Amino acid sequence: MSAASTQLIDGASGLPVEAQLHHAMTAKDLLLVERVWSAHRARLMASLLQAGVMRRDWPQSLHWDWSLKARELKLLVNSASGLVCQGEWQGLMITKTQPYQARLAGDLGRPLVYVDFLEVAPWNWPIPQLQQRARWKACGSVLLRHAVAQSKREGFHGRLGLHALPQAESYYERCGMTRVAVDATKEDLAYYEFGRNEAQHFLEGSMP
Amino acid sequence: MNAKRSMTLNLTDAEMAAVDELAQKKELSKTAVIRQAIRLYQMLDARMARGEKLFFEDEAAKKKAELMLL
Repeated sequence: MSAASTQLIDGASGLPVEAQLHHAMTAKDLLLVERVWSAHRARLMASLLQAGVMRRDWPQSLHWDWSLKARELKLLVNSASGLVCQGEWQGLMITKTQPYQARLAGDLGRPLVYVDFLEVAPWNWPIPQLQQRARWKACGSVLLRHAVAQSKREGFHGRLGLHALPQAESYYERCGMTRVAVDATKEDLAYYEFGRNEAQHFLEGSMP
Repeated sequence: MNAKRSMTLNLTDAEMAAVDELAQKKELSKTAVIRQAIRLYQMLDARMARGEKLFFEDEAAKKKAELMLL
């Protein structure tokens, strides 16, 4: 597993902090992260229940389990990346280089990097009903930029696709991704895509 | 990033023409085409080894055919 320096934003002070972006994470890495995150998820779930928050308002990745995704890392099409800040994993992402293809008209049928899963640590979820604010911000943007950079390295010109959870749709729209369709084959999730120009714009943009 | 190693590939004219055509169509380098082919082959082989099946479907013609991998 190798790492590069990057920055996150301290949710309390708004100041930048040093972080490390790890790529080529292993199955064992994901298992270790899940052990920490699952305990935090369980505490959050108990707090949401206690506060009487309706299930439709719960964070939509609350049921995710990265240990179940670990075995997929044996395949060349999959790669996992993660963010570490102050000794804790702050965000994870799995990308695929196959078998997804671009759906936007100008790039139809051409290869892209598909973001299979992207999640920030449970303590970085803003949950207004619990007065929880993100401890570290910009985790999603750093990981998404890394995925675009991967697409460029692969020779895919920055093209990127993903299915968004409903709670994340507005975020991907702010990133400049195009909403292509609602996908009946993927639990009716909306499919979003970066063409090469939008991807470059996102890389050069100032979105934290 | 992963270290890369080189190998010499001996292809027939027809195979090289297919690589060229795919590279142009998919806007990829020839190396990227072959890399993608290896990844796809490995993924399909692994999923079929788990007992999954691979189908091609033509919705318009209402045809569906199972694909066998060697």
